[in-house]
Order: sequence, then structure tokens, then C-alpha cells
Amino acid sequence: MGSQFKLLNKTAMKNCLPLWVNASSPSYRVSRYSPGILQVLLVMIVMNFTFIYDVTAGVTSEIPIKKIPFFRPITGKITNSKNEPVSGVSVKVKETKTGTTSNENGDYSINIPNATGILTFSHIGYADKQIEVASYTTVINVRLEENQSTLNDVVVVGYGTQKKATITGAVSSLKSEDLMRTPAVAATSALVGKIPGITARSTDNRPGNGTSIQIRNLGAPLYVIDGVPYSTSEGATSFGFNTGISGQNLFNQLGLEDIESISILKDASAAVYGLRASNGVVLVTTKKGKRGETSNFNLSGYYGLQNFTRFNKPGNAAQYVRGRLESEQNLGRSPSLLYTKEQLAKWEAGTDKGYKSYNYFDMVTRPNVPQYYISANASGGSQKSNYYFSISHVDQDAIIKDYKFDRTNIQANLNATVFKGMQIGAQISGRLQKHHNVGVPGLDDYTNPLLSISSMWPTESPYANDNIKYINQTHNINVNPATYKNDVTGYVDEMYRSMNVNLTAQYDTKFGLTLKGLYSYNYTNEDFDGFEYTYNAYIYDPITDSYNNRSAAGALYGNQNPWREKHKRNIFARFAQIQANYSKQFGDHSFSAVAAYERSDNENSYFLVHTIPPNNTIPTQLFSNQDVLIDDWSTEARAGYVGRLNYSYAGKYLLEVLGRYDGSYLYAPGSRWGFFPGISAGWRISEEPFMKRSGNGFITDLKLRASYGETGSEIGYPISQNRSVNTNLYTAGGSAPDPFSYLPGYTFAGTGVDDGRSAVLDGNYVIGLRPRGLPITNLSWVKNQSKNIGIDIGVLNGKISGQFDVFERKRSGLPAARYDVLVPSEVGYTLPNENLTSDATRGVEGMITYSNKAGAFDYAVAANGTFARRRDLQPYKPRFGNAWDEYRNSTVDRWSSINWGYHVIGRFESLQDIESYKIDNDNQGNRSQLPGDFKYEDVNGDKIINALDQRPIGYAEGTQPYVSFGFNGRVAYRSFTLSVDFAGANMQSYFRDNELKYPFQNNGNSPAYMFEDHWRRVDPYDPGSAWVGGTYPAFRKDLTTHVNYNPIGGSRSDFWLTNVHYLRLKNLELGYNFPKSLIDRMGLARFRVYVNGTNLISFDNVKEFQIDPEISLGSGLIYPQQRLVNFGFNVSFK
Amino acid sequence: MILLSAASCRKDWLDRKPRNIITEGSTTWNDPVLILGVLADYYDRLPTDMGLVDIDHSSVDANQDRQAQWRNMADYDDAMWSGAGQDARNNYTSYPFDRWRIWNYGLIRDINLALENIEKYGTTLTATQKIQFSAELRFLRALDYFEMVKRMGGVPLITKQLLYDYSGEPASLQSPRAKESEIYDFIGSEMDAIKDQLGNSNAATTIASTTRANKYTALALKSRAMLYAGSLARYNNLMATPITTLGGEVGISASRAQDYYAKSLAASKEIINSGFYSLYKSNSNLGENFYEAVSKKSGNKEVILAWDYLSAKNKRHGFSYDNIARGIREDNLSSSNIAPSLNLVESYDYLDGSAGTLKTRTPDNTDYIYYTNTTDIFANKDARLYGTVIYPGAPFKGFTVQIQAGVLVWNAAANSYTTVEGTDLGSNYTDGKALTAASGPHRSILEVSNTGFYLRKYIDPGVNTSTRGIQSDMWWVRFRLGEVYLNASEAAFELSQTTDAMLYINALRERAGFAANSMKALTIEKIQNERRVELAFEDHRIWDLKRWRIADKVWNGSTSNPDAMVSALYPYRVIRPGDPARDGKYVFIKMVAPRIRAPRFFQLGNYYSSIDQVVLNNNPKIVRNPFH
Repeated sequence: MGSQFKLLNKTAMKNCLPLWVNASSPSYRVSRYSPGILQVLLVMIVMNFTFIYDVTAGVTSEIPIKKIPFFRPITGKITNSKNEPVSGVSVKVKETKTGTTSNENGDYSINIPNATGILTFSHIGYADKQIEVASYTTVINVRLEENQSTLNDVVVVGYGTQKKATITGAVSSLKSEDLMRTPAVAATSALVGKIPGITARSTDNRPGNGTSIQIRNLGAPLYVIDGVPYSTSEGATSFGFNTGISGQNLFNQLGLEDIESISILKDASAAVYGLRASNGVVLVTTKKGKRGETSNFNLSGYYGLQNFTRFNKPGNAAQYVRGRLESEQNLGRSPSLLYTKEQLAKWEAGTDKGYKSYNYFDMVTRPNVPQYYISANASGGSQKSNYYFSISHVDQDAIIKDYKFDRTNIQANLNATVFKGMQIGAQISGRLQKHHNVGVPGLDDYTNPLLSISSMWPTESPYANDNIKYINQTHNINVNPATYKNDVTGYVDEMYRSMNVNLTAQYDTKFGLTLKGLYSYNYTNEDFDGFEYTYNAYIYDPITDSYNNRSAAGALYGNQNPWREKHKRNIFARFAQIQANYSKQFGDHSFSAVAAYERSDNENSYFLVHTIPPNNTIPTQLFSNQDVLIDDWSTEARAGYVGRLNYSYAGKYLLEVLGRYDGSYLYAPGSRWGFFPGISAGWRISEEPFMKRSGNGFITDLKLRASYGETGSEIGYPISQNRSVNTNLYTAGGSAPDPFSYLPGYTFAGTGVDDGRSAVLDGNYVIGLRPRGLPITNLSWVKNQSKNIGIDIGVLNGKISGQFDVFERKRSGLPAARYDVLVPSEVGYTLPNENLTSDATRGVEGMITYSNKAGAFDYAVAANGTFARRRDLQPYKPRFGNAWDEYRNSTVDRWSSINWGYHVIGRFESLQDIESYKIDNDNQGNRSQLPGDFKYEDVNGDKIINALDQRPIGYAEGTQPYVSFGFNGRVAYRSFTLSVDFAGANMQSYFRDNELKYPFQNNGNSPAYMFEDHWRRVDPYDPGSAWVGGTYPAFRKDLTTHVNYNPIGGSRSDFWLTNVHYLRLKNLELGYNFPKSLIDRMGLARFRVYVNGTNLISFDNVKEFQIDPEISLGSGLIYPQQRLVNFGFNVSFK
Repeated sequence: MILLSAASCRKDWLDRKPRNIITEGSTTWNDPVLILGVLADYYDRLPTDMGLVDIDHSSVDANQDRQAQWRNMADYDDAMWSGAGQDARNNYTSYPFDRWRIWNYGLIRDINLALENIEKYGTTLTATQKIQFSAELRFLRALDYFEMVKRMGGVPLITKQLLYDYSGEPASLQSPRAKESEIYDFIGSEMDAIKDQLGNSNAATTIASTTRANKYTALALKSRAMLYAGSLARYNNLMATPITTLGGEVGISASRAQDYYAKSLAASKEIINSGFYSLYKSNSNLGENFYEAVSKKSGNKEVILAWDYLSAKNKRHGFSYDNIARGIREDNLSSSNIAPSLNLVESYDYLDGSAGTLKTRTPDNTDYIYYTNTTDIFANKDARLYGTVIYPGAPFKGFTVQIQAGVLVWNAAANSYTTVEGTDLGSNYTDGKALTAASGPHRSILEVSNTGFYLRKYIDPGVNTSTRGIQSDMWWVRFRLGEVYLNASEAAFELSQTTDAMLYINALRERAGFAANSMKALTIEKIQNERRVELAFEDHRIWDLKRWRIADKVWNGSTSNPDAMVSALYPYRVIRPGDPARDGKYVFIKMVAPRIRAPRFFQLGNYYSSIDQVVLNNNPKIVRNPFH
């Protein structure tokens, strides 16, 4: 410190303001403790003079005070509670107009115009902070406390990202940790119950399968993975495998741990995806490393045990035999010809040789079947690049022996700055997926084993004479579970190999414009290899103690139908996009804009060779045995121009305008392209001064949102408008138009209904050609108008937050026939459908979360719910023959998928009751009725039950429930975390059919509960004996036409139709984090173990049918969801 | 971005060229190979009530749904359904009025389009080619009209493509129904016009195509169509109240009967006398011979037109898989669906000319008749029985098809038999011998005969042809000489040329094992029975009963009418130790088939199928059929 300071006494020194320094410490302190700092200038104002003193040079100059600006710079770094920099924080000097924002490193600098002042720091998602600037302070580092809300989350939206707080559309998102909480094999299953607006139904859960999800019950959504939209064409092969080409499948088959976030675009926010976005969009983003981050290496895995949630148990031999006797009695045949009284007694005793009861449920299924998962990933980055690498493997055995599924995923996401402003990147994901089935004759190999449970007679043994060397020639050898082994009946291996490469380049200019390019190439190959062996079966002859493999007539038992097939499907999907983004802020006005052009196409080719193998030994296919070859091909192509503008004023008034000009190959050249605009606006009321002023901190966030958007749907055919069909099996999506239907021409040698059929003429096979129908040139996409009004609210500093939306998607131009132009049927063709009718899906959704800390407890609870239902609005010029026709069949402004059927009002109690009953219940004067049969309600009072007595009894079957809801809870206490997820649904119908309806269906057995509780006579041999009541009607084997099962005029009655509701504990997880002191010694950053249960409990109304509440197959013979209990760990290495 | 711009070189990204459609019209109509492909498609789309395949397009076009349904064989009185899942076929309370309905103007349109396009585009075709293809197309069109008229009565006669111009005024496209007679006349005149234009036959070798129309195919269609028209003209007017409409859409004047019969007879005679065809007589086993007459493809000069299949080219069907006898099935599923009825079996006469009723009881009805073998009861029957059905103990594919329902155990104390039947097939009784045979029959088990009989006709004799993997390429015979003989016989009979009539019918009977000139006196009932036994399962019976106007009497919906109920014959092995005349022998019990729960009921409104409401809506000039 130089001598000049000696001029000043200590008091004077206090009046000196250290104003301008280029080091991080106050000069006052510099002067006293750190004299070595270079280039420290000290400016002192004494009286009206300013002295500038160069500490290093020891020079003081004197300048008149007016010559330098009077300001006081403050700098600092803003971090959050995790010590991460927070950018974009608004820093203001209270009661002045001075303000700034923090940069991407969290640094800020601001000049205070007065000697003292108060700095306010505010940022969405963080509690506001005020700091008084003390004298001599030049650096203020701030740590902001996060709001409990997630407003500061960056959410991926179409063509960019936005802060949750400023989003104006109905967008929900889910982060990796919420996804990973459910140990799902397929990603869709991990979404269930966690997001408002998502409706889910899991109808077939064979290993590897996902859950059918829809957004607001609009139909199958569009999946966009890392910015690339994929095909929406869904399909499964007749073997039950997914065709693997759709976005949904690609999503399902990603490594679950590689997903960073999922955004669901539900309203106009989806319109930016145009022609295919009408059902909403699922945006998936994979993980990336962070720049400047030290390397992370994580290992995680679990091992779990699976069991069926529910599956109906078949009757035992005594029940079966007695039931068969009752059926013979009820059908007026002689029961004793089937089983004598002595035989019945022996079966009921079950002790004599040959009178043993077999339980085929136990034979087909296994308890506690393993499922495991292991994953390793590494991520990190330098200043100029970042990376994420992962490899994972999931392995799921089926409850049925020798059936399994496994999948290995790799993901490599790289990004590097090659020169200033220029980044290039690649996202590479690869997948190897294998299904292994036993090669059961018939197509879908899962069908027969489940069918066996119901079809096998409990009186017959799977092995002749119970000798496991000899498969028994049972009444239907095809469903004898003894044959379901790789080495008996063969195998089916299905392999997917898929590689997806995205290459990206991005150039950031200095003036806010960013240019991006993306090229994506997806190659998916399916390889199918199936071999079904012939095998022998035997009948034991106790007289000669021999096992005979052929009948007395000489025909071989067992299966003599060999089958061999290999097929290949190759799918190439290409996508290219160029995009420009611009953003700029002028004071309180902030703008951003996106413009993009993109195009995509794919080709799907399929090649099949089928042979009839001469034996079970030769492993390859030979030309000499070939009998089928299929060469199939399809394509899709689309292109679109995208534009979007965002404007916000002071973070309060938000506006988004977007549009897309989109084209699809499906339509004739004149009607290919369409423009799809969208607009949405938001008002953050909580940012208004009046809210801030009155702000007692109660309402911390309040935003109103409204949106309107137009999208398209590539729908070609009307959706279930066949008025004679009562099943209402309705797919919200509708099916796509046939490609190339705008072209005239000829089909040849296909397998479709309209394909040219080949014929054998003069011994030669002649490939058939068929003229196609009229070219469809006047049909275009269906127009959708999506409206949404929503409110986002945060209360108590975000401890409570909520999001509520009311929405409608109106579709107009749904294809239908213009039937008032009646072209005679004799012309031989029908007029193509035109875009004529309309419907709407309307609903509400919402979620509310509450999170807080209480001592060592850190907890959160959340609830979400969705109601969405389709309503038919205006069909094309409806007409009705009479009032009943209108009542029964109208689709004018009425909820869709009303399930019509009969009310069962009681049972015939006795023969006298049948005799004296005045209503003709069966259209045969009640001749076919027995005690216990259903009495249907004669609604119109005409004394006869027929179609006119149908009334609404339920909702759609087989599709998404109209109401879905979920509850999520999480508690953390010290090192323990407990989380629960409930999911539930209401307003869906399940129709019991076939095995769950007809006794002895398919010449088989029936569920035990049906035997235990049905109408019957006390003595099956005595037609005069008394009747005993029960739940199910009296048995009549194979009489499926009976009015109990199929009332006159329809098949549905509210006995067999159940309006299912359920609430199930999807997930319960208890985790433990090893304490830091321990893992430090182990060299770990994190070590967590957990135990997790899936589908542990279900509260529902189908328990008595012993079915999972989410299945839709009427027979119940479908692979249900699993009750999975697993043990897992996550380790992060330092 | 380079890739992107490279890709943008394509003219229009959205213009894709389909690889699974031929889009070029003029190429097609100048290439005889492709035109034959068009014909192949049309041949394969010809409708039939039965057939060996199921083609159900109801989901696409309600008026084309019944193109071929082999399962319909189970719906009348010649058989029942013994398979799974379709027990409604055994429980029809009545035939619905829309049964047999077709309105397949899709095929008519396609044929008219082809006829016009050959003229319009076929610039490089030779005149001969054009004539040949056009004649063949006209044959197909006439056959399609025949299929419509026999189900619906007169239908609009459309012989040109009807093009709608999107003007909103389609009235000009509306045509009323033609008279029933006009459609038959059209078929007759078309066949006259084209018969000499059709090739597909070689006069030098006297070999004609059996799968494409030739002169004699045209005549065979004419023979059948004119016979139908003649019998409609005659028998409809013999009804208490003839079924007619004012405009003649339904109902043919009785005065035209003779003319139609004469035309039919002339056409039949021309075929019979052509030298191209002869009754199949290549196998000295007359039962096998009759089976081969229908099923054998090579060296068979009886078949005139067939719907052919070829396994080597994957053109095949599962008819044998679905209908082979249970005990000899090669696959582990299906079999036995169509089970022939006792009604049919008993309609085959004994070779001595006596009625075919099977003798199961002693004349005084005090006891069973005891047979040493299950086949004995069928001894000396018309060989066509063997050739059509598999009866208990009959051989097939080198196997004996064992059919036994159970055993009758003598209970001396009660002086009666106790019936014991198995709960499963192929089971043995406590004596170690068969209880229920591998082929049943069984009262309640599915996919095993419920009647005691199996189908032989159309079941493929080839190894493993009853498996799903291999399947069968047995053909479906649309026309054969046997029918032409019967047509000739009936027409001659109706024209009172009784000698000729007996000549033709006796020729068929002689082939079936009867003595020469076995039928000495002819009645329409005998002709009716002869057609039933000769043409069983060849898609004739329903149409025959309709044109003779007896369907409502034979299938009158009465449970007490044995003709309306489908009957079964159950064989039992007798266990009666100490009585060598009976012990170990077989007896037979006749019964209504246990799974039959309703009589066949054909109402007057079934004579002509109802016209779909959509068709009526679309064209106000279409009048309804009676009773609807």
C-alpha cells in the first residue's frame, strides 16, 4: 500500500468506496491483506475528486468526478442446491430499472447505480431471493433454493425445448427416474399411471410385449425418437410377433435406461407434426453426457420372479365328469351312456387306478419364473465433447417352459464441437432381440399352451399310463402339454436386429441463429426360423401292457404334420431434416422461431420360404421340399415444411404460432398436401405485479393456457360404422387407406380379398390378374381440430402443484359413403368413400402433486386422472326407418361405442315357472329353457324377447378405458426410499366368451368356479330330481346357440358383459442408499439396492372370473400381466 | 445435408411406384399371358354353394360373401356338422331368407370391362385370340348369371360396363330386374352364340380342357340351365299357389316347359354324342371306380369342367384336413366335420333294385340283426354308396375305418342289453376289445362323426394330404358327364321320351353295379333319387329340390318327418357269452343324430332369396321377391 493512503485517515478511508476492481476481492481487503494482486485499481472519491490509484504501479491520478460514470459493479455466480450453475436467472436492483440475467455458467454481473441497494434474484422454479449489497461488497454468489415444483424443468417439445413454465400447450413429461421405477421390458408399460392423459391397457403380456397406450383415447400416437418420427403402422404377424416397423415398437425396444425423458404432446402442440399428429405425439429423448463433467460409470440390474396375476383354474376330474353327466341329462340324452354311476363314484373318489385327476394349469405353467436385467453406462464430457455409452440386457422367461425373450441394447450418443459454433453428433442405437417359442403346430405358439389348460380333460393323462417316455394320445393331442418341448414339437426362433443411426450437425451463429441438420437411417431385420417336428403319441393297452403308436386301423398317432418356415423382413427407414432456429431478446420481448424442412420414407420387404421337411433331423431347408415362397413389399413416404414462432413478453404473456405444410404418399397428387396450423397462448398470472404484491407466497405459480391446432389423420375407412355390428370393437385410429388406391390398374396373385386370384388352368398354375376398383382420387386425410384449455398452478412455493386440462379433438371429413347418391349395386363397384362425417373426442384430465419435507422425511404424493371419450357428431345425412331405428342406430351427436344388449332380470326358478312364464324368452315358446336360465327384460312389453329389447349395457370392448387414473407416492427417510404407484381404470367393458362362457367349450374342460356354482339337478341320472341353484346356468355342452349365451337378436347380456373397473398396485419399491461413509471406502459414488413388486394387489370386479382386469380376450386364454417381485441395485463409480 | 440434397434429386418425393400392382392397361390387354391371368381370376371367382374351400368376403362386400362354402354341405339332409364351433348348422330353426343370396355384379362388371378392354386396347391381338377370349368371358358371365338366377330369380341383365360420371344423377344406370325366363334365355342364346367360338378342345384327339370352357362346357351349362328353366316352368305352376311376381321376375309360364326341356335334351345329347366324353369306367372295383370318376384328374373323360388345384404351386385347400375320417387323420387337429347322414345312405338302393333302407332289426322287430362285420349291412348296395361315403369298416387310404359306438352287454337277468359307450375314442372295453372305435361315432365329442359315416367323395387319397402342412389339390367338379346323363334322362322323361330317359339313367346305374336295364319304369321320384345318389355333395341337391318345388315338403320343419331330421346309424359290438350266434357280432341302431336339435325347415320364402336392402335402396326399379 503506497504512501498516498497516508493522506487519508481512517475515517476518510471509510468514506472511500472501492468501486472498480478487476480481481475478485474487495480492494479494502487487498490493501490490507493481499498486496500482491496485480492491476488493482482503486478509485476513491474524496470530496469532489476522484483518485484513481494503481496499486501495482503505485500511481495515483486525479480526475474530476463527472468524468467517470458513477456505478458499482457486482459479480457473482448463481448455483442451485446441487451446486450446479443456473442460467437465465433474472437479477434486478430493486426499485430500479437495472437488471440482467445469468449466463450459461451461472455468472452474472450488474452495476448498482447507488452506493447501496437490494439485489433480487428470480428464476422460474426457484424461490425468489433478495440480498442487500453491503458496502465494499463486489462479489455476491447466490445459491437459489428450488421450488418444489418442476417449473424449471426443460421439456422437450416438437423441434426444440422449452421451460415447463413457459409452455403453452398441453404437454406432460416424464423423466428417467420415474420411468425406471417400473421394471418393464417394454417402455410403454413403464408409462402406465404416471402421466395424465395417457390411457393404457395391457391385453397380452407375453414376454417382450408392451402395453397399448393412447393419448387421451385418440388412437395410436406418433412416436418421435430423438427428433425422428417413425411409422405409425402397427401390426403383429400371425405368430403374435410385432412386425417391428413402427415407432411404438422402436420405443418399446429401446433400452429403458437409455431414455432420458419422454414428452407427451396432447393438443395443438402436436400440430407441428402435421398429418400424423392427430392422436398426439410421444417424444422420446435418449441420454447424453454433460460437457465438463467428470466421467460417470453406472451399473444397475435386477433379478425378479414372475407369476401370472390371474388365470382361471380348470375343474378337476370329479367336477368335470359330473358336469358332463349333467349336460347329457339337460340335453335329453342318457347320462349313463357316458359314465355309469359306478364310474362317477370312482372319479369322485379319485383313488382307483385310472381315476386320477390331472391339473393342467400346473402342467402348463411354472411358478416363480425369472426375469433379469443388467445395464452399464458411461457418460461424461470434456469442454468440447460429450458422450454417453450404454449396454444393457434384459432376459424374460415365460411362465410356460421353453419360451423366452431376451434383448440386448447398445446406445452411443456423441457430440463434439469441431470449431467454434459447430457441433456434430451421432446417436447410435442397436438392438438384438430374440423370442424363442416351442414350435407348436398352428401359428401363434402361445395359443395352444393356454388353450391346453382349458381344453385338456382332467380325466386324461399327458403320458400314456403316466409313463413319461410315452406321450399320451389324448382326446386332442394337439393340446397335450407333454408335447410342448423343444425336442418334441420343435422350435420357433424370431430374431430382430436393428440399428438406428442419427447424424446431426449444428452451427450456432453469433447473432442467435442456429442451423441444424439431421439424417437418420434405421435398419431393422427380422429373421424367423421355425421348425415343427412330427412326433408320435401312444395309447397304453393294459391287457398286453403295450404302448401303441398307431390305431388299430393303422394310422399313426401324434402329429404327422411337419412344418418348416424361414422368413425375413427388412425395413429401411430414412429421415432427413434441416432446421433453422433463431431466438432473440429485446428487453422484455423475447422471440424465437423455428423453420424446418423434412422428408422421410421407408421400405419394408418380406421374404418367406416354406418347406415340408422330410424328417426332423435335416437342419436346413432344401429346395426339393419347398412349397411356398412369398415376396412382399410396401413403402411409405412423406415430406413436410415446419414453422413455429414463439413470443413472450416479460415471461408473462406467452404466444406460440405454428404451422406445417405436410404431404403424404397415400393420396392422389392433387390432394396430397395440407396445411396444419396451430396457435397457443399462455398467461402467467403469477408473474403479474398484483399477484406478486398480494403474494403471501401462497400461490407461487399460476398459468392459464389455451390452444387450438389442426392436424391430419391418414384414415381411409370409416371406423366401425357397420350398424349391424353390436360389438363396437372400435379402434380410435381407424385404418390407413390402401397405398396406391388412387391409381388404376391390376392386382395379381395376392392374398387379399381384392387381389387377383390365381387358378390352375389345363394343369398349369396361372397367375391371376384382377382389375382394381375405381381409383380413389377424391379422398384425403381426415381433418382434426384440437382445442385445449388448461391451468397450471403452484401453491405454497410449489409444494402443491397442479395441472388441469379440458380438451376436445374434433375430426371432420371421416371417410364414409355418400349414400344419397345411390349408384345401383349392379354397376359392380361401390363409390369410394369421401371425407364426410365427423366426431369428437372430449375429456378432462388433471394431476396434482404435493411434496414436502418433515424432519428427515421427504415425501411426495401425486394423483392424476383422465376421462376421454369419443362422441359421434354428424354422420353424413342420417336417415332412419322409424323411431326405434333412430334410437338404436343413430350416431348423431351421441357417445360412441355404446354396448347394446339385454338385461338379465332373473332366473327361471322351476319348471313350473318356465311353464307359466308369459314372455317368450327364446322365440320357441320357452321350449329350450331349464331352471336357472336367464330371464331377459322385455323392455318394450311385447311379450317376446328380441333385438328390440336391447338397451345400452356397457362401453367399448377391447380398447382403452374411458377413465384412467393413477396415484403415486414417494417417501424418503434417511437412506430409505419407498415409492408406490397405483393405476386404475373405469368405463370399459369385458365380454366373457367361449371358454369363460360355454361349458366344455372346444370339447374341453371349464373353469372350476363354473362347476362349483351352477344350476343342476341333485342327481344327474334322475331327471325328476330337484334343482339346485347357482350362478351359472345349467350345462348344455356345445349348445352355443342357446339363448342363455346368444339371446335372440344379439349376443350381449349384462350377465356375460362386465363393466370393468380396477385399481391396481402397479408398483411398490423400497430402496436403500448405502451411506456415504461406507461407499466412500468402497470407491463408489452411489450404491443403492431395492426390492420391487409389480402388480401385487388389484381391487376390481372381475376377480370372480379369475382374469386379469386388463385383458380383452373373451375366453380369458391370453397371457396376462405378471406379478413380478424383483431385487435390484444401482451402483455409480467415482 | 448432402444426403438430403441427393435425395431431393427425385422428381416428386411422394410419387412412389408400387411393386405390387400393374398400373398399365394397354400392356395387359395386348398380352395373351396376362389376359389368361385375368381369366384365371374370373374362373377362380365363380360362385358355388359348396366347393372345397371357404371364401367369405362378407366383411368387404356383403353381396359376394357366399362364393364358396364347403361347410354348407352340412346344412341339408345329406350330412350334418360334426366338427367344433358351428353347432348352429345342426340347429337351424329355419333357413333364413337371405340364405343363398348373391348379387355379385362385381364379377359381371369385371367381365364386361374385360370384354370392352380387349376390343379397346387389344390392338396387337389376333382376331382369333380376341374371339376366343371374348367367348370364354361370355361363358363366365353366363355361368355367373346362372348362379344368380337360380338363387334370386330374374336379375338385371347387365352386359356393358356401367360407368358413373359423378354427376350425382345415377338414375340412368338403373335397370329393372329381367324376367326369370329372360335370364335363362340369355344363358341359352349366349351358349349358342359362343359354343363354336370356344377353343380348348381338340377334335383330332377328342380331348377337351377340363378347366377352361370349351364347346361342350358351354353345352353343359346350357343343358343344366335349360333343365332348370323347364322344371321351373313346370313345377312352379303345379304348386297350390305358384310363386310369381307380376313382372315375371319370378315365375316362368308353364307353356315354356317343353321348349326348355327340348333345348336341354338337345344340348345334353350333343355332349354325349360328341365323342369327347365317356363315363369313367377304369376300375373294376365299382365303388372305387365311382370315387375316381369324380376325383381322378388324369385319364378321366367324364369331367367337363372342374375348379382345379395344384399342390406343387401352393394352390391347395384343407378340405381333406377338415373332413377325413377321425381315426385315420394325419394331422392332430380337425377332421370329420361333414358327416354324411343315414338319410343319404339309405337312399342308395340295393343292387337287386330294392329300396335302400338298412336292415337293422328282424322283420318282426323283436331283435337286432346280427352282422359278423360292420360292412355286412352294406353288402349289395349301389356302388356309389361306397364311392361317396365311408361307412363302418370301409377301407380308405389302405386303412380300415373302424366305426363302433360302443358295446351292447347282455344282461340275462333283465333279458335285455345294457348299452355301454366310451368317454373317449379308441377306447377298449373291459374285455380288451374295442369299446368306442377310433373313428367313433360319438354322441357328444366334437370332430368325430356324429352320424356313423364319413365323407369319401373329395377326400384326397394321397399321403399326408389331410395335414395342414401338405393339404390337398383335389379338384371341385362343376360339370361332369354323369350329370349330363341325368339331365338328358330327366328332360327326355319330361318330354315323354321315356325309352331314352331310361337309357341314360340305366347307363349310370349299370356303372354302379346294377344289371343292365335295371330300371324298367321311370317316375320323377326315381329320377330325383338318382340325382341325389349320383350327385351327392356336388352342389345339386338344394337346387334340384328348389326347381322341383319339393324343398318345402321334404324339409318341412317337422320333427316327426324323418326326411327333415338328420339321422345316424350307430354300430355296437354285442357281448353275449354263450350265444355264439350273437356274441361278438355287430348290431346297428338308427337314431336322430344326437347333435341335431332342430329339423330342416325350408319355407316358401326360401325358394327365392331375399334381395339385400342396400341393393333395393340403390335401385328403386328392383322389386322384392315374394314373401319378403
